[in-house]
Amino acid sequence: MQFDRELLKGSIALLILKLLSERDMYGYEIIQESVRRSQDAFEFKEGTLYPALHQLHKRGYLRSEWRTGENGKQRKYYSLTAAGRKAARRSEQEWFSFTKVVNAILSKASS
Amino acid sequence: MHLDRIVSRVILLARLPGNKRRCEVEKELRSHLDDLAEEARSQGYDDEAAARIVRMRFGEPEEVAAGFASVYAPERLAKRILQSAILVAASTMAAVVVIGTVQSIAAICTATSIVSTLRDIHLELFGFAAIAAGYCSLYAGERLFPTSPVRALLPSVTVGLWLAAVFGWLIPQHAALPLTAFTCAASGRLLQRVPIPFVWFVGTALPLLVAWALFGRLISGWQFPWLVWLGLTISCKALREIVRLFERLFIEDFA
Repeated sequence: MQFDRELLKGSIALLILKLLSERDMYGYEIIQESVRRSQDAFEFKEGTLYPALHQLHKRGYLRSEWRTGENGKQRKYYSLTAAGRKAARRSEQEWFSFTKVVNAILSKASS
Repeated sequence: MHLDRIVSRVILLARLPGNKRRCEVEKELRSHLDDLAEEARSQGYDDEAAARIVRMRFGEPEEVAAGFASVYAPERLAKRILQSAILVAASTMAAVVVIGTVQSIAAICTATSIVSTLRDIHLELFGFAAIAAGYCSLYAGERLFPTSPVRALLPSVTVGLWLAAVFGWLIPQHAALPLTAFTCAASGRLLQRVPIPFVWFVGTALPLLVAWALFGRLISGWQFPWLVWLGLTISCKALREIVRLFERLFIEDFA
């Protein structure tokens, strides 16, 4: 499904923080995991993930390191910092509160 | 589009500050594109189809580059301000050294005390800063508006007006000296771009002649006006070399 670009832009940081709160991942893996969990419904231009990752890294929410995989390929893994964990919790709460309010408005409007 | 070309386009347009960061982003994006291509090939697509899928899934390089440019904009700006400050400081130092040397040689040749030639040094210091400001503001204009010579003058005009206000307030009786030096340096730089040898000498001479006609003597050393011109002209030549060195050192960040 194609979602509105602005809607995706606003939620990409939350998705990154949430996924990385579970384990360290590299960019391609983050995309794969998002697609898998959304059952292929979540599609966005994959290149745009990287500026978002770098933005979070600059804010001090992520740290990164190059690791060599079993196939000898080097990948840049991202993990959450303490500030990133806090931001992940805050963003998640914000998201749930926001969707609750929007849902309440939408359900009132449709009833 | 070949994978390398996608990455190079992103790197070119993203204007990332620092070579190390550029290399790292390049490696990271390249790794992602390789993974995408590998996935497509494992699904049975040939190289051409795989490249199409990669391009489609990755998105337009311009869009990705714009994202990076926006993330690193504050860092790029800070770096640019620091580099510009270095250029202005180096240019001011060069003007001090060149004009100081010319004055000292003139003092020795005319058997005058060097100390007496430094009588107006406090005023000359404004002049040295004005030379650097005139030359560098025009250079900044050339970099900001490479295709429009008229718009390239805007930074010089703006800086010139600000300096006129500041000098008019700080040294109202002597503001003409640094403002003339500013104009000489800016017009010297302007004419250095004309592909006729030595024509830029006119650029440093003309504002001096106008100032002479309007205000008479601007400084105690004015009894040798050609020496003032010589000092300004050699300064412009030195500043040209400094700008070239600056471009060699920082051109990637200014691209």
